[in-house]
Amino acid sequence: MTTQSILKELINKKIISGHQAEAISSFETNKGFSVHWELRSILFLGILLFSSGIGVLIYENIDTIGHQAIIAAIAILTIVCFWSVFRNSLPYQHSELKNTNKFASYVLLLGCTTFLALEGYLQFQYEIFGTKYGLAVLIPTILFFFSAYRFDHTGVLSMAITGLASWVGLTIAPLSVLTKNDFTDQRLVWSAIILGTLLALTGWLSDSKEIKKHFSFTYLFLGGNLALIASLIGSFRGEPQIVFQFAGLLFSAFYILTARRSQSLVFLLMGVVTAYIIISYMLAKLLGEALAVTLATLYFTFSSIGVILFLLKYKKFLGINR
Amino acid sequence: MIKAYNNTWVTNLYIREIAAGWVSKNLLTSEQDAQIQKAFPEHFYRPGIFVAIGLFLFASIACSFFAGFLSLFFLDGFSDGAFGIFSIICAIAFLAALEFVIRDRKLYHSGIDNALLYAAVGAVISSFFLIIEGERPWLYCFLSLFILVPALLRYADLLVAVVTYFTAAALIALILTESALGKALLPFALMIFSFLSYMLVSRSTSIYYHKCQQILEMLSLATLYLAGNYFVVREGNALLNDLPASTQVAFAYLFYFFTAAIPIAYICLGLKKHNRILFVTGLLTLGGSIVTYRTYFLQLTISQELTLAGTFLIIVAVLAIRYLKNPKKGISDEPEAKRKFAYLEAIVAAEVLGQAPQENGIQFGEGNFGGGGAGEAY
Repeated sequence: MTTQSILKELINKKIISGHQAEAISSFETNKGFSVHWELRSILFLGILLFSSGIGVLIYENIDTIGHQAIIAAIAILTIVCFWSVFRNSLPYQHSELKNTNKFASYVLLLGCTTFLALEGYLQFQYEIFGTKYGLAVLIPTILFFFSAYRFDHTGVLSMAITGLASWVGLTIAPLSVLTKNDFTDQRLVWSAIILGTLLALTGWLSDSKEIKKHFSFTYLFLGGNLALIASLIGSFRGEPQIVFQFAGLLFSAFYILTARRSQSLVFLLMGVVTAYIIISYMLAKLLGEALAVTLATLYFTFSSIGVILFLLKYKKFLGINR
Repeated sequence: MIKAYNNTWVTNLYIREIAAGWVSKNLLTSEQDAQIQKAFPEHFYRPGIFVAIGLFLFASIACSFFAGFLSLFFLDGFSDGAFGIFSIICAIAFLAALEFVIRDRKLYHSGIDNALLYAAVGAVISSFFLIIEGERPWLYCFLSLFILVPALLRYADLLVAVVTYFTAAALIALILTESALGKALLPFALMIFSFLSYMLVSRSTSIYYHKCQQILEMLSLATLYLAGNYFVVREGNALLNDLPASTQVAFAYLFYFFTAAIPIAYICLGLKKHNRILFVTGLLTLGGSIVTYRTYFLQLTISQELTLAGTFLIIVAVLAIRYLKNPKKGISDEPEAKRKFAYLEAIVAAEVLGQAPQENGIQFGEGNFGGGGAGEAY
């Protein structure tokens, strides 16, 4: 079906005039082929590759002359990036900033990543923070939080959140939460739950107080992911289990309700899946192993059909009218 | 009735989406939009992507435990024949459920129907493996196509389209690798197959198969490139002939040429014909070609390569954005529509650029490095 045949249909149904159809048709033939997102993706990928490469490059050539030059170049690059971002920045406001400068957000991202590489190197080579590793992590975190709010950048915000998490000793990146954290340490599970709660609360507040409302998703997603997975692990292995299970169910409820407010159904999915796992586990424990195995096929068949019915009618349950 | 979903609704949905684009560009008024909604009705149940994922997840659990429940009745005759019959019974049950949810609940690729379709197709195909034992692999591919093609035509499902394509390609590859001559001709045969399938698929004008068409075009272009890619041919040759290390292949210069020329041809054609699939596939395969060439001709450490590649990409992107400040030759840098997953960039940044935990005091510049591989996949 082409533009022409759609326009013909619209004319036949007397929705548009022939004149208007001609205007639309000429718009469609004359409009350019936009490579906007492709170019932005290349730029973003370039920054990712560059900062990944440079972060290692400086360690490779230690004790050579080229080495000093590389460090100096990175330092200058970082300064130039931040200087240019400052010069082109708009005044702060609570709502989303629309910076007309095409490159501003990418320059900031580049500046932040090179700063991270530079600071890490200085600590490694000269131990400027001595053994106060916490401080070494906290400085970029503070800088990133400041930059994220001042220049309105969600990417830098999520880098700041990972910094905050790593200060507590956690990995918060969505795909690594489970693999890179050592959750056999119960203390870490607790810190994950507390940090996740704080982040989720921040996200909730930034949404309800309308302070950088569009940051709310990043806070909620990263924090929620951490808290839900940590409480899930606590539910299986922690002591006392019931506390973690209760916490996990509370988080699930919070996220299912958040989905209703923030219109982002990823939260609905996160909440429902976690709650389902915890409840199934609690039921199995309650029934004892022998009985649970016998009833497993029936339980999973019917309970998942139940969840499906819930998801099919989620709009009605949650009162979303969209 | 070959099509499972209501074809009029599918067409109306497409018209509404196109019209919505015109409304957002103020080419149509909102009153006209309301008229269009009325004149082209559709009553599909289409949840958001995340609810669809949830539905898919739980429908898959329900399907597998339902099969587990049924298998309790087959425990006595634990032979392959009995299992074949069991698979067929499961398939019939899934198919009945699938037809029911499409007709009664008006689902349209909303997770549940996808899960039921995969369960049904999977059950039938696994019954082949159980009933016909110890045959040559290509026979199974051949038989599977008799299930996959009708399923694709009826349900127009994306994953079924992908699996069908790979099954057909595997059929050709498996037949050819049975002889020495076939092994030598394999790259050319796969290139011809990919080319023909692109030609066939890209001529479809059906809205019902629109999404399948897009994914098949992309796959055809990708396999056309991969079958001619020097790295794939060289390493594949070593693998097929059980060579301990890959060695230079015959017609090497032809494959060097394909590796370089195909991505450039894709990009140029894509820009000329305003075809996004050609263009994006061209960009991705160009990345593949650069990796191919550096594997054999460039001796740099990974960090040097990453830094160089990153610098190069940044420069190219910045120059192109500058150059396209005003549209040139029908190509523009205007953001066309709001990106669907704009927040993805923030999540990728957290994943790749984020910091690892700092308790042992390892220098954390190194923490970034793991992201290199992920970055390339992006």
